[in-house]
This record gives sequence, structure tokens and C-alpha cells, in this order.
Amino acid sequence: MQPLLKVERVVKAYSSKNVAGAREKLLALDGVSFEVAQGGTLAIVGESGSGKSTLGSCISCLEIPTSGSIWFEGRDIVALAESERRKVRPRIQLIFQDPSNSLNPRWSVEEILLEPLTLQGKPKQEKMRQRAVALMTEVGLSAELFQRLPAQLSGGQRQRLAIARALALEPKLLILDEALSALDCSVQAQIANLLMELQRTLAMTYLFITHDLAMAAHLADEIVVMNRGRVVEQGPAEKVLRHPKEEITRHLLAAMPSLDSAARPPLEL
Amino acid sequence: MRFFLRRLSHAFLLLVGVSILAFLFTTLAPGNYFDEMRLNPQISPETLAALRAQYQLDRPLPVRYASWMNSVLHGQMGFSFAYNSPVGPLLFVRARNTLLLTITATLIAWGIALPLGVWSAERLGRLPDRLLSWATAALLVIPDLALALGLLVFGVRTGRFPVGGMTSLDFASLPPAGKLRDLALHMTLPVAALVLSALPLLIRHVRAAVAEVLNAPFMLAARGHGIPRRTLLYRYALRAAANPLISLFGFSIGVLLSGSLLVEVVMSWPGLGPLLLESILSRDLYVVIGGVLLSTIFLVSGNFVADILLYWADPRIRTKSGSR
Amino acid sequence: MRTRHPFVRWLAILGALHAIVVCAGFFAPYDPIEQDRKNPYLPPMPLHLMDAQGHLHLRPFAYALKLREGAFDQYEQDIGRPVPLRFFKYGPGYRLLGFLPARIHLFGSKDARICLLGTDAYGRDQFSRLLYGGQISLLAGILGAGCTLSIGLCVGAAAGYFGGWRDDALMRVAELFLALPWLYLLFALRAFLPLSLSPLKAFFLIVAVIGAVGWARPARLVRGVVLSAKERDFVRAARGFGATDSYLLRRHILPETSSVLLTQAAILIPQYVLAEMTLSFLGLGVPEPAPSWGNLLSNLQQYSVLVSYWWMYLPALAMVPFFLGYLGLASSLQERLEPYKIERTSPGSLA
Repeated sequence: MQPLLKVERVVKAYSSKNVAGAREKLLALDGVSFEVAQGGTLAIVGESGSGKSTLGSCISCLEIPTSGSIWFEGRDIVALAESERRKVRPRIQLIFQDPSNSLNPRWSVEEILLEPLTLQGKPKQEKMRQRAVALMTEVGLSAELFQRLPAQLSGGQRQRLAIARALALEPKLLILDEALSALDCSVQAQIANLLMELQRTLAMTYLFITHDLAMAAHLADEIVVMNRGRVVEQGPAEKVLRHPKEEITRHLLAAMPSLDSAARPPLEL
Repeated sequence: MRFFLRRLSHAFLLLVGVSILAFLFTTLAPGNYFDEMRLNPQISPETLAALRAQYQLDRPLPVRYASWMNSVLHGQMGFSFAYNSPVGPLLFVRARNTLLLTITATLIAWGIALPLGVWSAERLGRLPDRLLSWATAALLVIPDLALALGLLVFGVRTGRFPVGGMTSLDFASLPPAGKLRDLALHMTLPVAALVLSALPLLIRHVRAAVAEVLNAPFMLAARGHGIPRRTLLYRYALRAAANPLISLFGFSIGVLLSGSLLVEVVMSWPGLGPLLLESILSRDLYVVIGGVLLSTIFLVSGNFVADILLYWADPRIRTKSGSR
Repeated sequence: MRTRHPFVRWLAILGALHAIVVCAGFFAPYDPIEQDRKNPYLPPMPLHLMDAQGHLHLRPFAYALKLREGAFDQYEQDIGRPVPLRFFKYGPGYRLLGFLPARIHLFGSKDARICLLGTDAYGRDQFSRLLYGGQISLLAGILGAGCTLSIGLCVGAAAGYFGGWRDDALMRVAELFLALPWLYLLFALRAFLPLSLSPLKAFFLIVAVIGAVGWARPARLVRGVVLSAKERDFVRAARGFGATDSYLLRRHILPETSSVLLTQAAILIPQYVLAEMTLSFLGLGVPEPAPSWGNLLSNLQQYSVLVSYWWMYLPALAMVPFFLGYLGLASSLQERLEPYKIERTSPGSLA
């Protein structure tokens, strides 16, 4: 079956001025390729600066790769015209790391939730309200919070709201860019479980971007390891964890905190 | 070194840009010097035309700009219709008079503001500081115009200070000491006006900058080391608070020529201000452009000096621009 | 001393002060351009409650002025002619808020005029002129600030949001404007436009000129806010929902600039009122007979007036309570909305 998402030799270059005034080219992504099957969960793991966030931006159409192709539902979104791309965007949603930054602090919960619907032109007042309540319920939030401001919610509640908002347009692919990293441990677990449940009920495909290999191990079927803009290792989660081939993967594995040394997969050198 | 050159070229380009802008403004404006003369029936149209040609008012804009630029580089800065002489010497004399006032005022103002600001910052929140804050606020809300006029009224009422002009009528015949005294007397009111209008903001900024530094952990550590108070204040605190103060100082330099226009006009001090006003009213083109250019040079230089001082004073700027 | 919203207090004070000026027609007893050539340069008439015989009156009154013996411009109070103050009196017609015709004034008098601040060379009541003059000066300041902030907002938002060469070009132009001495530019700009205009045209011209000169600093501030707002995740998220540029600007980015704009307004308005006063004082602003705080002071340039008629100086202080109010407002806004910053070119002085 055709994969939902296929990333093919994507390159993203930035040019910037360094302090001396000369122009420098930075390769954030240097030929990245992988696939994600429908309904699956792929984790993209790497240290800061490995390019994984840039990859997330490119796939969610917030930025355009310098070269390469990104096939989504059989169409190359890189090659699309802007007007067509705007139609594809709602089907790929990005959830950001810090909900206090991704939710407009001056807007109420209701306004935030309804924004995607308003933008996509669904004007019926009553239907929107119903949809909003349904979304809140789905992520485990009460509709009583509608008039609150984001600052009045807890971190976990805010991230749930962000997820609810992302679900409003019924996306096929959800990209979670370090979406759990800013939360407390216990809250992380709750949100992770919520995500797993949503994946089951809504048949969604997830792309997890994280630096935390433990989380990737817990949540993903497949893992892609990135370093300096390149894919250095990929494969089923079990295989990558038990038989890491690359130095960087072993480095990340070693960084995993664990109380029980037996629980950590033995390193094979 | 590269930093210095970069800032210098930047400043120079800015000046060129400003000169073009000022030139455009003034030449594109309706009305010129000879319009007034046109109303005079004694002057024939032919004479007018000849005058206009003589002053090149009919040539295209870029040509006029180029020839004006050329004249600037020779120190002439164009020609004044009203005074019938090159603009340069005219401006320089007046600028000298203005600088006499403003440099004195700036020195006095900073001389008062620095110690007062530091003293106030030391006693932050306590009664002396609050009193000073109220006093500066009171001074701040009096408009410059009111200050200048008020001092004038004061001068008139007390009769001690001459109220106008730079020198008395018999200046030339006075002995050197007398000349100095005469000048100083004439300068008192205008300098007082300038100092009083600059003081509140200066004190506030010094106080704010020093207060912020005094609370820093490194100051506490220094005090713990037993460093004497005066050294603490002036060598440690003031150094750290230097950044905003240097910028402010650059600004003070920048307005040396242009900040005293009102005071000069009100107190009839023969500086750049009244000349500019007069030329504006009589549409004496090149004097206006020359005056604007001259004061812009000061503004840009002020910024430039501030940049250089900042570079020298703040090691962080040096390392940031030097490293790659 | 620190209330939860100190700026509300300042806003209330300013509101009251502005209300008095807006309703100048009501508070002023006489018409500002009505001349009384027989009584030039009358000194202010003090109000009394106790008369010369030691009787207390409930209604405040003033004594009419008569020429002192042997002097031609020295007046003294004529104890034989008390003029009582009447409240809510019908007087010369005026238009409240510019269109509502009305005739009630707060106070007035029968027989002689009570000139609380004296009269000028043409016998016009200075108190009334002060109030009406405030309308013009304050309005010039407010409209000018509105002009400047609008231009600054457009330029700053365009430069910050679109970036690239547009940003570079706009900021270079802004730098040019910042490098020009503000007051000089203002004067040059004003004076190179026609000098003798009707008061209405002159007023709008001054507003336009003042507004057009100072846009560079607000533009830079707005640009800074827009630059950082542009990168906020909620903006990127909205773009992910299909938002267009204009939607993003309108609903997410520009609301972030409101604090900067408000603070700048509180700083600029008094500056611009002062600019109008200076222009009018020097004859480049609102011309006679329309009163403005500036041209009320312009005859102080004559030595004789300066020496003999001290009350002509009083309009210079009219601005003080307003300045105080705006200063308080700006400080409290800055404390509340943004951290204290010392900018490169400090805004307080004129140049």
C-alpha cells in the first residue's frame, strides 16, 4: 500500500550573514529520505541542531524545501502552487513544543479552538459550537473552560487544547514537535496516552520529533535517527534500540535515564 | 579597526543621504527668495531673470546638487541671497556662538546630573530620592518655551542680567577681563534655560542606569570585599552603567547645534537658530540647507562618537564583532 | 500608593483636563476674538469674598478696574464698583463639541467684564483665549501624534513582516529621518510651504507637517514587535490552518503592537503640543485671530510687553498640568506594559 508520507532527498538551505558581514549557507537538511505508512507512528530522533524541527516545518508546509520532494497522499507538496498547498495544509497539522507560545495569550479558549474552523470557512455558529465541545471532550477538557485565557490553564490542559485545535480540521498526519518535552513527567504520560488513544479512534498517522529516545521507544513503531541534517539510521523501533549501528544512536541511548539497568536494552558494540 | 571603518563609512553615507534629502526638501518647496522681489515693482522682470540665472536657479536639479556639493567641499556651502556672501563663513560664525552656549550648558548639566543621579540611585526609594524625583518631575513638565520666557521675565524683573544679545554695545572697548565678564553675564540666562530643560531627563537616566547596576550581584560581592564606597560608586557602578549613559552622551553631543534654537530666538542670542529662522522666512535656500547639514553632521557625529566610546568601553561589543 | 492600575488614575485626570478644554465654550465667559479696544492690557482681576467694609459675601465678586491717577497703563481696583460673578449665565453663543449650539456659560457678569487672567493688546479676555487656545494646541498635538503613529505603524509593520529588501530600504529611510534634527526639519518643512494661510488650513498643514516628521522612531519600535511576533508559534499555527498574510497581521500581529503604540502616544502628544506652541510662537503656526497657546505668547517677544505685562506669560504654564498628566500616563504605561528602556535618542527634549 502506498505510504501516507514519503520524504525524498529533501534539502533545506538557509543563507545568513555572519558577524563579519559575509553570507553563509547553512544546510539544515541535507538529503533526507524516509517513509511513513498510514496509521503508523514514526519517531525522528536527534540532538538539537540535527535538523529535525526544520523537517517538521517542511512537512507541515510552513517552510518550503530548497530541493527534494515530499509526497503526501500521492502528491508532491513541494511542487504544488501556493494556492493548492494551502488546501493541503489543514490535513497535516503541527503541534508545537511550548503551548504557552503556540496559543495566543490574549484569546479565549473558545476563540483559539474555533480559529481553524473560522479560517477554513465554516461559519455556522451553532455547528461550530457543537464541534468545539466535541473536540474538548475528545481531549478530556471540559467545555466550562471556554471563556478562560490560556494563562489560566495548567500546562497539561494547554497542550490538550493545542491538540484539540489541531484535530479541528481532521488532519491525516499529526506532527508533534517535541510536544511532550515541556510538560511534567506525569503529565507527559497522560498526554502520551491520550495521543495513543486518539490514534486508535481517529486512525491518524503520527510523526514524533524528539530528542528523547525513551519516549520514542515507548510511542513509535519506527525510528529515524538524524544528525547534522542527515538520516544516519532508521528502522523498526526494536531493532534500532537493540542493535544501534551508529555512534550517535548509541550516544542517545546512553543518555536515556533509567532506574532499572535491566530495563535498558544491552548495548551491542 | 574594521568596526571603526565600518561605522565611519556608514556615517558618511548617512550624511550624503541627508544632504540629498534636505536639498530635495528645500528646492522642491514652493516659493523662493526671488518671489518676494517679484512683488516689488521697482525691480524689472529682466533683472529678476538675470539674478535667477546668476544664482543658477534655472538649472536642473542634479546639476544644482552637484555644484552645491562642490561648494560644500570647498567650505563655501553655497551662496546666501540675503547676505550676499558665501554661506559657509556665515554659518561658522553663528555656529561658534551657538556652541559657546551649548557646550557650556552641556558640561554644566552633566556635571550636575552625574553626581545627583548617582547620589539619588544610592538612596533609591528613600526620602531624599523621592524628593529629587518630584523636583525633576516638576521641572520636566514645564515646557522649554515657558522656561526660556520665564527666565527672560526673571531677568527683566531683577534687572541684573542683560536680556538679549551676546555682548554689550561697548564690548570692544572693554579690557579682557571685562570682556569675559560681559560675555558671562550675557550667557547666564540662556545657559540657565538650556541646563534647566536638559537636567531632569539627564538625572532620571543616570539614576535609572546606576540604580539598575547597584542591585547587581557583583556589586554586593565587591562591597563584601570591603571596597570603599567612593571607589565602588565611581569605578565599579558607573563603569557598568556606562552603556546607556554613553548613548545619552552621544545624543548630547548630537544636539549641540540644534537643541538651542528656541532659547536663542527668545533670548536674541546670535547663534545658528535665529539665522535659520530668518533664512527660512525669507526663503534663503542655501543657508537653510547649510544649517540643516551642519546640525546633521553633529547628530551623526554624536552617534558615531557614542559608538566608538561604547566599543572602547564595553568589551562585550568587541568580542562579539571580532569573533566569527 | 501603588494601585493596581495607576494608569487609570492618570487617564481620569487627563480626561478631566481635556474635557474642560473640549467644553471651552462653557467654561469661558467671553468670546475669544471679541475685542475691547478701550481696555487693552488689563491686569488679572482677583476675586474676593470679603469687601472693603469687611462684609462677607456669598457670591464671589471682582472690582472693576480704573486707570490709576497719572498713569496711562496702570490699573487699580475701583472699590466703588464691585462686579458680582454670576454662575450659569447666558452669554455669547458658541457651539459645544463643534456643532451643538448653546449659550450657557459657567460664569459671567453683568455690566463690566471679569477678566480672570487679564486682557491682551486688543482687550480680548485672556482666560477665554486660553481655554479656546487649548482646543487648538491639544488637538494639533493629538492629531499629529495620530498621524505619526499611523505612518510608523504601516512602515514598521511592512518592514517587520515582509522583511527582505523592503525592510532594508524602509529602515534606511527611517535612519535618514532620525539623523535629521527634528525641530529644524519641522521648521524647514513648515516654512517652505505657503506662509500665510487661513487658520483652518494652517492648522491642518501644521498637523500634517508635525505628523510627517517623527514617524521613524515609532516605526522602528513597531518593527521590533512585529519581528518577534511573526516568529511566535501561534502565528505559525494559524498559517498552518490556512491563514493569509492580512489575517495574520490583523488578528495576531498588530494587536501585539498596541502597548508600544499607547506608550508612544503618551510620549508624543505633549511633544507635539509643544511643537505647535513653538511654531505658533514664532509665527509659523496658527495665525491670528485664532488663539493657540503658542500665539498667545508671541507678543512676549516685545520687550515692553515682557517688562510691563507679566500676566501675558501665564499661558506658558497652561501646558504644565497636561504635561504632568501625560508624563504620569507614559510612566505607568511603560511600567505596566514594557520594561524600562533607554533608547539611543531620548525622546524628551525637542531636538
